[in-house]
Amino acid sequence: MQASTSLPSAQRTRDTQAQGLRRAVKRRHTRAGLLFVSPWVIGFLAFFVYPFFATLYYSFTNFNGIQSAKLIGFTNYVDLFHDPLFKTSLFNTFYYTACELPLSTIVALGLALLLNMDVKGRAIYRTIFYIPSIVPLVASCLIFVWIFNPDSGIVNDLLTDVHIPGPGWFFSIVWSKPSFILLGLWGLGQPMVIYLAGLQSVPREMYEVADLDGARPWQRLRYVTLPMISPVILFNVILQLVLCIAYFTQAQVIENGDVGGPGTSTWFYVQYLYEQAFEYLKFGYSSAMAFFLFVVSALIMVALFKSSSRWVYYASEQQ
Amino acid sequence: MRASSSRLPNKTVRGLSKHAVLIVVSVLLGFPLLWMVLTSFKTNPQSLALPVVWWPHPFEWKNYPDFLAAVPFYRYVLNTLLYAAVTIVGVCISSSLVAYGFSRIHWKGRDVLFQVMVSTLLIPFFATLIPLFVMYRKFHMVGWYLPLMVPTFLGSSVFSTFLLRQFFMTIPESLSDAARVDGANEFYIYSRIILPMAKPAMATVILFQFIYCWNDYIGPLVYIDNQTWYPLSLGLYQVLGTYTTDWPWVMAAATAATAPIVILFFFTQRTFIKGIAVQGTGVKG
Repeated sequence: MQASTSLPSAQRTRDTQAQGLRRAVKRRHTRAGLLFVSPWVIGFLAFFVYPFFATLYYSFTNFNGIQSAKLIGFTNYVDLFHDPLFKTSLFNTFYYTACELPLSTIVALGLALLLNMDVKGRAIYRTIFYIPSIVPLVASCLIFVWIFNPDSGIVNDLLTDVHIPGPGWFFSIVWSKPSFILLGLWGLGQPMVIYLAGLQSVPREMYEVADLDGARPWQRLRYVTLPMISPVILFNVILQLVLCIAYFTQAQVIENGDVGGPGTSTWFYVQYLYEQAFEYLKFGYSSAMAFFLFVVSALIMVALFKSSSRWVYYASEQQ
Repeated sequence: MRASSSRLPNKTVRGLSKHAVLIVVSVLLGFPLLWMVLTSFKTNPQSLALPVVWWPHPFEWKNYPDFLAAVPFYRYVLNTLLYAAVTIVGVCISSSLVAYGFSRIHWKGRDVLFQVMVSTLLIPFFATLIPLFVMYRKFHMVGWYLPLMVPTFLGSSVFSTFLLRQFFMTIPESLSDAARVDGANEFYIYSRIILPMAKPAMATVILFQFIYCWNDYIGPLVYIDNQTWYPLSLGLYQVLGTYTTDWPWVMAAATAATAPIVILFFFTQRTFIKGIAVQGTGVKG
């Protein structure tokens, strides 16, 4: 609009009028937009912003949730780093995440690749593959405790048939975490469906070109499929990571009274946080754990997004 | 394609081997559920017998009425339905309003706020729990479902908002512009034009919210302390604690909690799968 300075004044006023009108419309749109999203803005302030600062504050206090909080400086944080169970729960959560994240990615992607094959009755297979994910989590836990029961479970019975002594699964210090990992691999319907949608959006021509170049199936997967669906992989990895960090329900249900057991082999981080607050009423200590959780998960997410530019390929960027 | 040079039998073999793999995986994934149902029809000694009894004989139907008589199952179901019904209303109202603001109106800062909203999905439930619990207790809301219901009226279901926004964005802009020229305000456009078109997306949101409530364990665990108000998930958890030695009972309970949701899934599969696939579409944006 710089050119308008040399225009006749009538036109200039018309221009400024138009600009003013446009600005008024813009302002009206901003107001309407904010009004529509205001329920979420209120929710965000009440359920995220306030708790964030309140957690930070509580973490510096001695607070039992009933009497008013007393400031005690960094004591909670110092205590945390001398608390062996805190370290154990951190280690167990790390163990679970380190195994579950790659395994769940491979299994969910594998299932999606199977479903993406050109066979009759795909819809039926898809239904069967998805069903474990629709089972209520508590029910899944009950089922797994039963089929992996060391004495009368079907899994150990089948293992005995092939002369392998079955382990104690959820009741063994060594096998408890792998058992939880197995449970996690049953019920990957959500990432599977997202992967499948990703696979189906890969243009057919790319495979045809790869075939012309004589690419083997493995090469097609490595050089066509995986780069094309890498944004979907990132998305699913983030979703699974959030679930791993917040691992709670399955552990709480399966341990059923023997929290963290057998031994301390299944104390998970969030579970320890919960127990500190609601069993021992150490709200201040628990808040320090919550704040630590917040910082660590934020750091992990930032690292993941930073690294993603190296391995995630966005087709739209190339155009 | 090179495959065209191969003869027919080869093709059939390949087709069969694909089915073989798919069937093996199906059996692996389906087995735990099958075993749950089979166990629920066994007598207790049958369920513990070694070597394992595969097929229940005789079929023991009594586990179901027995377990229904011992556990207030229907009460748990009613509580769950109440929890689901109220939060569905909350989600439908607030998520559609917020999604409209994030998709059908252009305003400065919109996309930044939207990013903020999506990133709250990464924050674990427990990271914010303690101050919220203290706050709800001050308001005397702990003990019942209010702490789980109120947030849904304030756009707490990011997934629903995201899904509705994705749907709203597929509706041509010109439709809103035409209405604006006719002098319609935004709320009129939202309620009379966009919402009626969004019925399929709303159905998806309702379905997912229902399943969420049916499965939710953490929320009720923290806030519901009175057993008469337990939802199904907590009730089921109690069954495990009380009847661990009677696996047919526990499996009958698990079957009773699972069957309705699996049946619902069979009838709504297409809506369901599409709803999940939409989540992945946000990635490319």
